[in-house]
Amino acid sequence: MVAWGLAALLLALAGVCLLERHLWRACQGFVAFALLMALAWLLLGAPWLALAEALFGALLTGGTLLWTLRGRGSLPRLAELDQTPQRGLWMAPLRWLLVLCWLGLIGAALVWLLDDLSSTSLLAATGLLILGLGLWAFVTHRHLLRRLLAFNLLGSGVFLLLAGVAGPSAEVWGLILVGLVVALLGSVLGATLLLRLHAQADQITLNAVFGASADSAR
Amino acid sequence: MNPTPLHLLWLLCAPLALGLLAWVRPPRHSGLVLLLALPLPLVALWLALGLEAGPMAGRLGLGPLVLHWRLDGLAALLWLLTHLLLLASALYAVGYARATVLDARAYAWLWPLLGGLALGLGLIWIAADLLLLYAGLELMGLCAVGMMLLPGSIEALSAGLRYLLYALVGSLAWLLGIALLLGAWSRLDLAGLAALAQPDAVTQIALALLTSGLLLKAAIFPLHSWLAPVHGSAWTPVSALHGALVVKASFFILLTLWRVLLPEAIAGAWTLGALGSLAVLWGGVQAWRAAGLKQLVAWSTVGQLGYLMLAFPLLAGTSANIATLAWQGTWLQLAGHALAKAAMFMAVGNLLLSTGKNQLEGLTGTSRRLPLSLLTFGLAAVTLMGLPPSAGFTAKWLLLQAALAAGQWPWVLVLVLGTLLTAIYIFRVLRCSFVEDAPEPMLCTLPLGMDLIAFTLALAAIALGLAAGWPLSLLGQTVVP
Repeated sequence: MVAWGLAALLLALAGVCLLERHLWRACQGFVAFALLMALAWLLLGAPWLALAEALFGALLTGGTLLWTLRGRGSLPRLAELDQTPQRGLWMAPLRWLLVLCWLGLIGAALVWLLDDLSSTSLLAATGLLILGLGLWAFVTHRHLLRRLLAFNLLGSGVFLLLAGVAGPSAEVWGLILVGLVVALLGSVLGATLLLRLHAQADQITLNAVFGASADSAR
Repeated sequence: MNPTPLHLLWLLCAPLALGLLAWVRPPRHSGLVLLLALPLPLVALWLALGLEAGPMAGRLGLGPLVLHWRLDGLAALLWLLTHLLLLASALYAVGYARATVLDARAYAWLWPLLGGLALGLGLIWIAADLLLLYAGLELMGLCAVGMMLLPGSIEALSAGLRYLLYALVGSLAWLLGIALLLGAWSRLDLAGLAALAQPDAVTQIALALLTSGLLLKAAIFPLHSWLAPVHGSAWTPVSALHGALVVKASFFILLTLWRVLLPEAIAGAWTLGALGSLAVLWGGVQAWRAAGLKQLVAWSTVGQLGYLMLAFPLLAGTSANIATLAWQGTWLQLAGHALAKAAMFMAVGNLLLSTGKNQLEGLTGTSRRLPLSLLTFGLAAVTLMGLPPSAGFTAKWLLLQAALAAGQWPWVLVLVLGTLLTAIYIFRVLRCSFVEDAPEPMLCTLPLGMDLIAFTLALAAIALGLAAGWPLSLLGQTVVP
């Protein structure tokens, strides 16, 4: 019962984090999500990993994102509301095809690996759903901070899936630990870059054209 | 299985320690760098020489985790190559910082990133389990992204950000693939996987995920779009290292995984070979059309990486003789291209610094004024085109023989067309530089050392072709770890 509640709560928070256009709330949603992930690791019997998740995921990654929003030093602040238009379905059909293909393949492999319905398959299914949500957000969003958020959730989905498929073992915890550190470093690097790009070129997206149109709309 | 010897750990960690030292006090004289960093390639050479008796392997216990490593002839040679190129780039970087105006903080950051890159590459060469490979791959990737961002210009920032996002997504695809493998076979060490794993659907899906992540990081044909913009704005020593080593490491992992998990998958191997062929052709055409000199060299990297991908169809399901030819040809091509591409990036960097122009047209009239830089460019091009007696020639000759013996005709055509395209874009550069009726260019003089380093690397690429016997004897037969 606890497992079902936790899975539902994780999914709901992931949804908030990815759908919310108000960046401050979305980042707070991410911190809450990471704390919940830490709770999940604790319940799975990995207290060290729970500590690492709380430290690297919630405190450092979440803190970096929030700090980026608040503005560092003399660099100009980012707008709190994301007003860039989403990338439409028709704009990159190949990308969508690839995403769906990817998800289908992983789903097929999961069905193959997990034949009985148990708590591990619940974990893997939650991971797959969060992975799908994260992929969708990563492809459609243009705002770089939201893409970083999507990447972090994508990563968390992969961690859950990994723990669900391979069960609790030292190798799994080791892989997740490396993944957490990588996600942290990637987020710090990405956020720093975003701030400098914003300061130098007033750009919050990868493509300068869209950034300019969003700025004129503002 | 032995515990990890100390000199191996020293070779792994010493570059990082030196990098941190240089971060505190960035070096201004190349003599000091040479003195401090020269022991690294020497120790790597000593390791390679000590492998006559057979590969070394062992494990490293970290609490409940056991990490596996293995040092065979191939890994030792690649490690030696890594340290030689790192040393050359570090020496070049010191000259580069004197010849141009670099931001002092960015220049200081270059050194720990170089050290991290060395550690990541070292881990990749000797790793024998997926966890260690993952750590090495990510360390290398993040350090590479960081180095690309050092110039701080808007182009560098947005190209670097794109590279970062691609690299992060690639690493997640990799982690997913590992998750499936670990779920199916509950092993992470390559030897155990090679013995246990069956070529069933889960293994195939897992390998497809791992492959897509690695293709993204290695800039193989359909996933190469990040490479040219990133190189266009990066510092020259960083470009040289990236084109020479970083993309190659992803290819190395890819080939290792395919040899371990699906050695007999003909269809998959042919698909990868076809992607490589397209890369050779597309990279060649784009290099032909490129307007900027650095872009031309970057596109040439896309094309030359394609040759390496021909290893997959030539190794899968072919007889032992053919596989040995393809195996030796592939690694010789990798080493020759690494040396030549680093030399070419440095030569091009010198030309750009001297003329102060980024475009090909800026080279007019340089043939008389900058003969050494152009000579270096030409010598590196000899290896890229595969003219004798360079390493590129020997490598392509071996690949050609393997393709003919296996009856795989398409690759012969690719090798011929690729050479032709390479010759076209190289002669485009040389033609521009031999235009004599242009107004006399304004040139600034560079330290001689910068030209000499590039020249030495270009000569090394040719010497490797002449003295290929020793490295090829160390490579030995095709081995599955």
